Amino acid sequence: MDDEDALIKLAQKGDAVAFEQLVNRHYVTMFKMAFKWCGNQNDAEDITQDACIKLARGLDSFKGDCAFTSWLYRLTINAGKDWYKKQNRHTQKAEPDPEALDNVSTNAKSDSKLYAKQVLAAVQDLPDGEKEALLLVMSEGLSHKEAAKALGVKESTVSWRIHEARKKLNAQFEKEQKYG
Amino acid sequence: MDDAQLKKILQDIDVPEHDINEQKRAVNVAVSEFKAHQQEKEKKSQGSSFLSRLMGRNSQNGRETMEQKSNKKLLQGTAMLVVAGALFAVPFMYENMYETVGEGTTNSTAGGAGGNNFSSIATNISTSGASNPFGNLFKDDQKTTEVAKLNQVELGLTDGSQTRQDQQPASKPAPEMEMAEADMAAVSPAPETSMVEGLVANRAMKAKERKAEGFARHLIAPVPPQDDVHQGYYKDEGRDKFEEFNVNPFKQVSAEPVSTFSVDVDTSSYSFMRRQLNNGQMPSKSAVRVEELINYFDYNYALPEDASQPFKPTVTLMDSPWAEGKQLMQIGIKGFEIDGPQPKSNLVFLLDISGSMNSPDKLPLLKNSLKLLLSKLNDDDTVSIVTYAGHTGVALEPTPVSEKSTIINAMDNLRAGGGTAGAAGIELAYKMAEENFDDEAVNRVILATDGDFNVGISDPKKLEEYVEKKRNTGIFLSVLGFGQGNYNDHIMQSLAQNGNGVAAYIDNLNEARKVLVEEATSSLFPIAKDVKIQVEFNPNAVAEYRLIGYETRHLNREDFNNDKVDAGDIGAGHTVTAIYEIVPTGSSAVSVDPLRYGDAEEKTETATADTDFSNEIAFLKMRYKLPKEDTSTLITTPITTALEGTAGQEQKFATAVAGFAQLLQGGHHLSGDFDYDDVIALAQEGKGEDTFGYRAEFINLVKLTKATNQ
Repeated sequence: MDDEDALIKLAQKGDAVAFEQLVNRHYVTMFKMAFKWCGNQNDAEDITQDACIKLARGLDSFKGDCAFTSWLYRLTINAGKDWYKKQNRHTQKAEPDPEALDNVSTNAKSDSKLYAKQVLAAVQDLPDGEKEALLLVMSEGLSHKEAAKALGVKESTVSWRIHEARKKLNAQFEKEQKYG
Repeated sequence: MDDAQLKKILQDIDVPEHDINEQKRAVNVAVSEFKAHQQEKEKKSQGSSFLSRLMGRNSQNGRETMEQKSNKKLLQGTAMLVVAGALFAVPFMYENMYETVGEGTTNSTAGGAGGNNFSSIATNISTSGASNPFGNLFKDDQKTTEVAKLNQVELGLTDGSQTRQDQQPASKPAPEMEMAEADMAAVSPAPETSMVEGLVANRAMKAKERKAEGFARHLIAPVPPQDDVHQGYYKDEGRDKFEEFNVNPFKQVSAEPVSTFSVDVDTSSYSFMRRQLNNGQMPSKSAVRVEELINYFDYNYALPEDASQPFKPTVTLMDSPWAEGKQLMQIGIKGFEIDGPQPKSNLVFLLDISGSMNSPDKLPLLKNSLKLLLSKLNDDDTVSIVTYAGHTGVALEPTPVSEKSTIINAMDNLRAGGGTAGAAGIELAYKMAEENFDDEAVNRVILATDGDFNVGISDPKKLEEYVEKKRNTGIFLSVLGFGQGNYNDHIMQSLAQNGNGVAAYIDNLNEARKVLVEEATSSLFPIAKDVKIQVEFNPNAVAEYRLIGYETRHLNREDFNNDKVDAGDIGAGHTVTAIYEIVPTGSSAVSVDPLRYGDAEEKTETATADTDFSNEIAFLKMRYKLPKEDTSTLITTPITTALEGTAGQEQKFATAVAGFAQLLQGGHHLSGDFDYDDVIALAQEGKGEDTFGYRAEFINLVKLTKATNQ
């Protein structure tokens, strides 16, 4: 990690080689986050590229008060939000994955992969605030406190948003589990 | 569904394997954005105009990239077009080549697009026979002619309409895909193989076509995680960087009688502009440098009678074709041609093999370009190859040209891609040049890149200083630019300027031949360095003047006599043309009103002066240094009214090019009715013999531009 800190410091001082290494090192992390955020590879690639550009201009503002990866999550999520905003100006929301649209109840439980896909699709439909809190905490394993720091909100807000998100997801999936 | 379940689902989400090319692209974009950001910061803190001149940058670039990327559907279409456009030039030029080899014709003009005149390469190469290892590459005649024909059938297009195709908006994926496939079939032998060889080795054609199809599909499909993603060529867009400048304004002779600038023999602006126009895009204004467009062409100016002087000026006067009541004063110089044995060369190629070079118009073209250059060198010249940005290292130890096969092997083994190592490629290159340093020879590092300057010194300013320092030890630097999308014209120019070398942009093999073979002596063998021009106008004859172009080569008046101030260099046979537009005193075209006050004193001063100089319009002074000298020599000549009407065909052609360039820049100083047709008419008048067809190509380009803009 020291090596990472050094790299960040170098890049913040304007060393392009260090910056390049840094981006290369974290590209996959950002890409994964972006994929979870938007649910398809194409958009995830675009979002990750935008996030990389944001990183180029915004690295100076990383003060080291949270983990670099947490900070990157936030940057990626912001890139994702901006990207969708821009996208919506041109077209309607990206077409949802047709597989995920299939009737939720069929075979859902027997095929856990498909089930996961549906959950992910539902997560993606959550309001941005809830979605980002949920992803950071549930998927990336951050504590509510860490997530709050990364997102720049209060810890209670994170807890509240996760609660709200859980409520929505449960409403959607409990129902169908009962019939299943 | 409980928390643990949800956690598990979210953590185990099946994230597809990321596309390595997407990563490279994103990283490249980010790095260039990063560098731009650093420069902006620096600019803010230092506010140095010198620095901004060297490193200024269109800050929109990164954002444009984002904008372009945001509309993926459009992008996919455009990407296809970019690839199709880039590839199209390749089979096209080969068609010509094969026609010549197969049928023995010398029909060299084939429409306005990229690759005419290939016949001459083919003839050059094939006639040099057994001594030339390239000769046999072209002897696989029958089959290759067939391939060429096949391409034509598959494309179903004539030469002329191909360019039109390129301009179509990205709305028709199907035909474009066919085009890409057809093109791929021609170039398909994977990026790392030489194109020439690839074409000849058409036995494996079928397999390669399949590969090509896969590639084309890969581009169209929403990028499924496939194993063969590495086959995709690198594509880049919207990061080309050009130095911004303002077009020179008219200046009043009474206020500023002296104009000083450095010569410029670079031509990259022309080839870059040509490529864009052929793709149906208008080049951005900052990409059009009038002087580079003019100097792209060779002009038949008088040579010095005395060999002790490297060149002499040819000055002419003609009426301005684009403004009533104004005149054009042209200063042309041509460096003497090297007679007798070509000086020895010690060349070190510093080649960018980063992932972004993995594109048919980059590394494969580069390899073939270098092979062309090789054919021009003598047996006792030495060549070494250093690579950077992919795998930094020595790809070829200094090798005499007599061992051609070793050199060619080393070139063929170059592969683009791989991680970016920050090792000091440039230092390695200079080390090689130093090891083999020959006082009698031309010692030169030739840097070839598509815009990635990760040569080990990341700060552009430091890099320039380094190159400058090495220049003083007698090792010069030339820069060859390739590709489009991330073309960093800016750094290229300043590096070449600091390294006493030329910056050339190579968009196709024809251009490579022009730069590296035809102009090999001029690009490689400087006959004069730090060539500066100063013109003092006579206020009694000229009211106003404007230097057309050379905006980025402006020098201060006092720089002229200061031998420490660096300026442009002239190689053997180089021609340089500068055009002033002047407004004679008393002409109705004078744009600035005379001053009401303070003029009287000046009058009396000049009144005594002009008794001697009454027929002089201006006084021309030039300074140059011989390549190995540190003190400059002065050449002077008065420009008199006797030169009026002396402009001939060469001057007319140069004027046509200047007119075209100014139209592309928006034509601030052109009268409203001067248009592309006037350019064409002028160029036709000045076309002359045009041995290689460059002037004909120019005329076609103007026609194309006219059609595009209608």
